[in-house]
Amino acid sequence: MPTFRILSLVIALVAAASAGGASAIGEHKLEIVASNYPLAYFAERLAGPWATVILPAPADVDPAYWRPDAKAVGAMQKADLILLNGADYEKWRAHVALPRLKTVDTSAGFRDRFIRIENAVVHSHGPAGQHSHEGIAYTTWLDFDQAAQQAEAVAKALIAKRPELKTAVLDALRSLQADLSGLDGEIKRIAAVKPNLPLMASHPVYQYLARRYGLNLKSVHWEPGEMPPEKEWTELDKTLAGHPAKTMLWEARPAAAIADKLGAKGVASAVFDPCANRPEAGDFLVIMKQNVENLRTSFQR
Amino acid sequence: MRHDFYLAWRYLRHHRTRTLILVLCLSLIAALPLGLHRVLDAGEYWMTRRAEATPLLVGARGSAVDLTLGALYFSEAGVPSIRMQEADRIAATGWADPLPIYARYRVQGQPLIGVTLDYFDFRGLVPAQGELPAILGDCVLGADVAERLGLGPGDTLASSSGNAFDLAGTYPLKLHVTGVLAKAHSPDDHAVFVDLQTAWIIEGLGHGHAETQAAPTQPDSPFGAATVRRADAGLLTYTEITPENLGSFHFHGDPATYPISAVIALPHDARSATLLRGRYLDDKSATEMIRPLDVTRGLLENIFRVGALFDGILLLVVAIAFLLVALVFALSLRLRQREIETIYLLGCARLAVMRLLFAEILLIALLAGAVCAAVLYTAAPHASDLARHFILS
Ligand SMILES: [Zn+2]
Repeated sequence: MPTFRILSLVIALVAAASAGGASAIGEHKLEIVASNYPLAYFAERLAGPWATVILPAPADVDPAYWRPDAKAVGAMQKADLILLNGADYEKWRAHVALPRLKTVDTSAGFRDRFIRIENAVVHSHGPAGQHSHEGIAYTTWLDFDQAAQQAEAVAKALIAKRPELKTAVLDALRSLQADLSGLDGEIKRIAAVKPNLPLMASHPVYQYLARRYGLNLKSVHWEPGEMPPEKEWTELDKTLAGHPAKTMLWEARPAAAIADKLGAKGVASAVFDPCANRPEAGDFLVIMKQNVENLRTSFQR
Repeated sequence: MRHDFYLAWRYLRHHRTRTLILVLCLSLIAALPLGLHRVLDAGEYWMTRRAEATPLLVGARGSAVDLTLGALYFSEAGVPSIRMQEADRIAATGWADPLPIYARYRVQGQPLIGVTLDYFDFRGLVPAQGELPAILGDCVLGADVAERLGLGPGDTLASSSGNAFDLAGTYPLKLHVTGVLAKAHSPDDHAVFVDLQTAWIIEGLGHGHAETQAAPTQPDSPFGAATVRRADAGLLTYTEITPENLGSFHFHGDPATYPISAVIALPHDARSATLLRGRYLDDKSATEMIRPLDVTRGLLENIFRVGALFDGILLLVVAIAFLLVALVFALSLRLRQREIETIYLLGCARLAVMRLLFAEILLIALLAGAVCAAVLYTAAPHASDLARHFILS
């Protein structure tokens, strides 16, 4: 009799342990690190409740200029998946040790379509002679077709990690890509009304947007909160003489003084937020829809 | 019976030197073949386990043995390098995960191994102290290296220039020890690990240098005015990577062309492994794919053949040694003629002498056995080191 009792106790314990183990596996969330908000948003939509998505760059920093410290790298190393924008976005990539097998370069699929930046910084040293550190335009997601490809890369990585989530991820991908293609079609329609409409941009971050939607865009290098020096304004006048833009696109609402001074030149300010970091309100889709509306207004001006 | 042993013991103690020599000779004769087998077993276990855990290996076409010894056991001979794109090529097939390894340099006599972070997961290496490398210039020490060099997290370690004749520009880099790995009982215990990118910095493919002109650069302006940062030929590159100068470190050229020693390929399943091996059948390609287990088995067969030869010789030596011991006893009986006679005169039977002799031999055998066990016991922890030493160099 005692034997039987011990045996049944053992069986009960084993059953409890295995049940606990099973639920622990089911509850273990994927830990995903994303190097910018668009990727974090894609991951959140695709992985839904099965993942915790971390955007390690602080909220007040543009992730493109953020550099992880040893602690942040340590945290990334422990993640299940590290989503990178690629296209030279993660300037810190060469300075840190990350597991390659967990790292996904989401723009690798259209690497041959990257926009190279001319006038890149050139320097020389040693007998090797001069060389240039060429730059690549990195706001790849503002071409919503490219964004859809990046979303697909995220989905593929998720499925590779958790094959059992395949149907759910693919369903979510379809809905996300429908949203992105909605934005894509909308901007195409807006731009088609007035092709070659001259536009100014305050910051050189709209290269892919301009290419995809055929925008006639010229860029200065201004910060929304910083009054540009007089020299810049003279340069702008020269540019406007041959490129009569009525709108300047801004990453964020410019200071009133700047907007007023621009307005006096007949240039209205419109926000087209690349949304590289998590917005204070709304999400990627909400911000992009607002951007599209702002662009529509600019084209009606 | 007790008296026999008592008398034998007194006798042995009286003739200390003779006893000592006999015990030492016998114990060493027994310890030698046993120890040799211990070393061979350790070598076999150590090599087979490592090779079994490493399904496929890609490296420069040539000696499969050199490739295996270099990439798996970090042998001093080194391996001709291949390009990083080999790892990308394996990844692109989707059949296997690539683990690039760069085992070209040594630091303080220990192999300096450039890996990606995945390597630690793959080998199950976890830091016993500190953390894995995070930033360029970080390194993590194998358990034995840490002990030998007396270093731990927070210490630094200078990478000596690997090759005095290398004009391409390897320069000593101060490595920051971020952690010490838990003992793995594998070649990993003897290695210093850095991230591949750090290994390339040591190689001179990447570097950091001070801005020599206070040019008005706009680092965040891809469209900003072209700025030329001129640096004279005598420019000093940094020899230590600090948070302050980290940003100035950069690589030249395409990382896909950077050197590595080998790629461990981890196929997702048996079918993928077969398909992947098919990709490497071309004799003209500069790289080849091998199965480390096959190579190691071939190597071990040779070693065991040598071991068997040794056994044969040792058997002969043992036989001779026993004859010599028998001779010693026979001679000592001669010398002890008077003593034996005294025993008879005291009224003991002939058998008593035999019993005394038997007790003596038994005591000597016991002592020799104890010494032999002690020798083997103290040598046991070094068996794998010895195996490593004899097999790899
Ligand atoms: Zn340089």
